[in-house]
Amino acid sequence: MRVQYQQAIEQHRQRVYSFAHYSLRAKEDAEDVTQEVFIKLWQHWQKIDHSKLGGWLMRVAHNAVIDHVRKQRPGEANLDHYVDVDDQAGSGNQEAKFDQEIFKQQLQLAIKTLDDPFRSIIIMRDVQGLSYAEIQASLEMSESQVKVYLHRGRRKLRDNTNLRQLFESQFNGGSQTAKLVEPAARQSANDKGNSHAK
Amino acid sequence: MPSNSESQCYFVQLQIDGYIDGDLNETQREVFTSHVHSCEACAQEFHYAQVVQDTFLELPQIDCDELVLEPIHRLSKGDGSGYGAEQVISRQSLLSQIRDLFISAPAFMRYGFPVVLTAVLAVLISTSVLNQDEVAPFNNQQLALESVEIYSPEEVFQALQDLNLAIDYLNQMGKRTEAMIGGRFLLTPLQDSINASFEKARIRNDEPLQNDPI
Repeated sequence: MRVQYQQAIEQHRQRVYSFAHYSLRAKEDAEDVTQEVFIKLWQHWQKIDHSKLGGWLMRVAHNAVIDHVRKQRPGEANLDHYVDVDDQAGSGNQEAKFDQEIFKQQLQLAIKTLDDPFRSIIIMRDVQGLSYAEIQASLEMSESQVKVYLHRGRRKLRDNTNLRQLFESQFNGGSQTAKLVEPAARQSANDKGNSHAK
Repeated sequence: MPSNSESQCYFVQLQIDGYIDGDLNETQREVFTSHVHSCEACAQEFHYAQVVQDTFLELPQIDCDELVLEPIHRLSKGDGSGYGAEQVISRQSLLSQIRDLFISAPAFMRYGFPVVLTAVLAVLISTSVLNQDEVAPFNNQQLALESVEIYSPEEVFQALQDLNLAIDYLNQMGKRTEAMIGGRFLLTPLQDSINASFEKARIRNDEPLQNDPI
């Protein structure tokens, strides 16, 4: 049992920690969630259906994250992180590569401000590249529910004022022409980009 | 009232995520593409959505520090030193093991065990009550002996004399009360008044009474 448990930790630790990291503001909270998840795995080892271990772990992680978000008070936000992002965003003459980094940081902050289940579904699907079946198993929702929440969550994310302002400042008020990428090509890029998560 | 173009923009922008995910059919895709090519606002919104989705792909998967999982590894190795949660876990796991054992037992054992336990308890309690009854006389006797030992023989003799005196007093009082009730207040006046009534009646009717008074 011990060897199998260690193997399960090694197999799923990155996925669990990433989910907690992108969901919560403080690193310590993400570490606490990771510990809680694997402690629960140890406690419930005999009762778990091991063919669905990934879904079970993500469900436990999701619940633990919700508990931590409830415990978080508004004043406990990682303000230093916000200041860094704002300062960097304020300087207009930055290189394009650096701007991408700022946008990435702002996107992470915007994700953390979303409510559940929008936040969890966006992290699982868009950041971690989980399949709809895996998300269904983790959140106990139907596929159509997952898709509805995903699309609504993305729209809420794009409505984030800071993120939109940053996009408009970086792309000169949107004067760049949109290049339409065929959905099939985007889909394969998405799978490729998140293959490390599976 | 939104114009036709505005409502078309609204519906096209609702379809952005469907387009990105490849959920639109061919006709919807053609309508979407042609609109985005002709509408600058929708093109910008679509570009924004594409940038956000591309940035998602840039976000790395992050692994936690090895120190975070060290207590977990120790837990699985059964080393109980230095980590507070482990004690909680071991206690919880013991309880859960007992519960699992209970759940995994056959039904007749699950339900039979409490019945047998109750019966055994009932027998034990009744046995102890019976034993208590047998022991009780001995206890009373012992208590009496103990209480006798407390007083000296002179004190006991004095108490008996006091008791006899009290009994005599009560007897005298009882005799006096009997005499008072029987002679003066109740029996004699009642008997006299009844006899007087019969006497009056006999004089009035001048006939002898069938029945004597009391």
